[in-house]
Amino acid sequence: MKEKNYIKTWFRDFWGIATYELKLIFSDWGVLLIFFVAGLLYPLLYNLIYRNGILNDTPIAVVDDSGSTLSRRYAREVDATRECAVLCSCANMEEAKQLMQQRKVNGIIYFPSDYEERIALHETASISVYCDMSSFLYYKNALMAVNHVMLEEMNRIQADTFRAGGYTEQQIAELTEFIPYEENNPYNRAFSYNIFLVGVILLLIIQQTMFYGMSLLAGTMREQNRSFASLPDKIKGHGMGRIVLGRGAAYGLLYMGISIYIMTIVPAIFGMPQRGNFFDLLMLAFIFVTDCVFFSMTWSSFITRRESVFILFLFMSPICLFLTGTSWPTSAFPKFWEWFSYLFPTTFGCKAYINMNTAGGNLSAAGECIIGMTLQTIIYFILANFAVYVENHLLKQKNQDNVPAVEQ
Amino acid sequence: MGLFKKLWAVIARETSIIRRRPIYLLGSVAVMAFCSIFFLSFFQQGLPHDLPIGIVDNDQSWVSREFARNLDATQLGKTVKYDTFQEAREDMMKGKLTSICVIPENMYSDILSNRQPEFTYYLNGLYFVGGALAYKDILTLVNLANGAVKREVLRARGYNDNAIMGMIQPLNIDVHQIGNAYTNYGYYLTNVMLPGMLEMIVIIILIYSLGAEMKYRTSRHLMNITDNSITIALTGKLIVFTALFTVLGVIMEFLLYHWMHFPITGSVWNMIINVFLLILASEGIAIFIIGCLPVTRLALSVGALYSVMGFSLSGFTLPIEAMPSYIQGLAAAFPLRHYYLFYVQEVIFGSGFAGWWPQVLAMLAFVFLPLPILGRLKNAYIRLNFPKE
Repeated sequence: MKEKNYIKTWFRDFWGIATYELKLIFSDWGVLLIFFVAGLLYPLLYNLIYRNGILNDTPIAVVDDSGSTLSRRYAREVDATRECAVLCSCANMEEAKQLMQQRKVNGIIYFPSDYEERIALHETASISVYCDMSSFLYYKNALMAVNHVMLEEMNRIQADTFRAGGYTEQQIAELTEFIPYEENNPYNRAFSYNIFLVGVILLLIIQQTMFYGMSLLAGTMREQNRSFASLPDKIKGHGMGRIVLGRGAAYGLLYMGISIYIMTIVPAIFGMPQRGNFFDLLMLAFIFVTDCVFFSMTWSSFITRRESVFILFLFMSPICLFLTGTSWPTSAFPKFWEWFSYLFPTTFGCKAYINMNTAGGNLSAAGECIIGMTLQTIIYFILANFAVYVENHLLKQKNQDNVPAVEQ
Repeated sequence: MGLFKKLWAVIARETSIIRRRPIYLLGSVAVMAFCSIFFLSFFQQGLPHDLPIGIVDNDQSWVSREFARNLDATQLGKTVKYDTFQEAREDMMKGKLTSICVIPENMYSDILSNRQPEFTYYLNGLYFVGGALAYKDILTLVNLANGAVKREVLRARGYNDNAIMGMIQPLNIDVHQIGNAYTNYGYYLTNVMLPGMLEMIVIIILIYSLGAEMKYRTSRHLMNITDNSITIALTGKLIVFTALFTVLGVIMEFLLYHWMHFPITGSVWNMIINVFLLILASEGIAIFIIGCLPVTRLALSVGALYSVMGFSLSGFTLPIEAMPSYIQGLAAAFPLRHYYLFYVQEVIFGSGFAGWWPQVLAMLAFVFLPLPILGRLKNAYIRLNFPKE
């Protein structure tokens, strides 16, 4: 009998706390702005910014001191690549340098005067490339275009040499290319920026907006001399489990909706690759959101005032992006920062999401990430409970001290 | 009270607020210190090395083994051997590999008999830097391997080594990376990320400081000191905060270009002008936001959303010209964009005033942003008629 009552009270309390938290969320403009305006519009905005994803036709200048057929052919072919476009040919390096400084071109190709002569003599001719390093994409484009054309040109020059030596076309083909190679870039064909970055940003938005929103509420309650840990008056039961789970359910419910929107609808709107299975993604969303809920609950208990979360933790958003290990490879992390990165759900969540959604893996492709998130969930759940316990304890002490003065 | 006395009173009041509430120094000095430590230590390697590259060796000849060994010996790569392509593919899908090289069966005997065996590689474009660098590494080695085989064959046909060199490598490219000769990602990202963090700090702290006056209903006290002059009140506050931020900014520039020896073609002093302008422009933005929305929490949320966007729209990773045209115009509304353009001229090209004066004007324009909302802020400060919560 008693046990049944306990379960009944538990659920009543849980339900009461969850609905109360939802009421708090929906009566706070700041939180709504973060959850719904940032949570719903930011994914769209970032998709728009990175929509094209690739940089085409980086303008470059050509300084051709050789003025030969071969150098002109080279320049023409560079112009024909996707990556680069020859904006102009300059009379000398000074002129080209000036154009680069004015940012009219982002690269310079220089052919020395002996370019054709050396090729004719079967010597190695060299080409100089100057790249503007203000963005690595300029550098990458110039380098890729020049290198690809170089390989092509080398084959042609070699073929001409062999042809002059009296070889047949078949022999020439064999001699110029012993090991032909085939290139595959299955997940992100053109090394497009949006495909690699937006997936990561999407999950980062989920974690960060939830954390900021929850901290705003925790701070507000503290300011009003209530506490995130104290129970609403009408609830008679006590216990930290139901506070943590009850509040968590409120955020979890909202964020499952937002996450499904962010993880499945937003990529569809922008035609991003969606190779994952929907139910696998749903499962991932559930695991990730649960993890984020307890993560936010734990860390938001340090927030004492409403606004302090932005002042103290806003800077973590860009840092979390680097800690996911999708741009700067995890294998190159200093050890300390690798351990530090395990504090954040996005470290595992972002990898799991791009492995599943973009690379088309199933849940097992994200297996290790899911184990990581599950461990995080358990630890953060315990810590969140602990925070409630400590907070309640402190409140009780404070109340005892205050009782005579307030005379309630 | 004379003008200077009032100003002095505001300054004294502000410094005592900063002393009393640790959040101001935590949110500026501590955050900046953390970010500096993070960015300067995180990209320690400069260029990542030992990227995991999967090798599926179906040939198992000395040629294929040597290829794998050479790839392993490069600075960029570290090979991981797999028996089947399936296993390698699964690991790449899990993000453990940057790329996979598949060496075909009978490659060695095919080479010997001129059957042109096809070498295949797969790149993981989802892990951007790793994938792109592994690509570069593999491409170099495949061409080297091709060259080595070619040299042997040409030798067998009786060419001398001099002639062979010209035949297997008729062209050579020497690359000059202007402004970052080592292709160091740390230099590249930290140069703009750290000032971006400073911009964020300026906007958030200043919005909070101005908003807190209303939130804690102390703004009337402030207006009493200045005889209801919002200009003096703001000037006093700004003197204190500008001093604080400028100290941070100057330390940051010296940290980057002096103590950490980041490559700089121009002068560090010009970069100090740049960071000072960035601070002024960001302050203009902050006052504008809190003036438009004199509710602290809303203004802070807007300021947070705005300053996070600044990183993307400065165009130092994906250049602005690759963004849709309607986004390109928006970029000009972020001080960090102008800081970046200034930095390109000074640090990369060293072109001095002639190169960066348009950015100075652009950043100074932000300073006038608060003018239209001064009256509104004054009313809000005196009447306190906006919701506190």
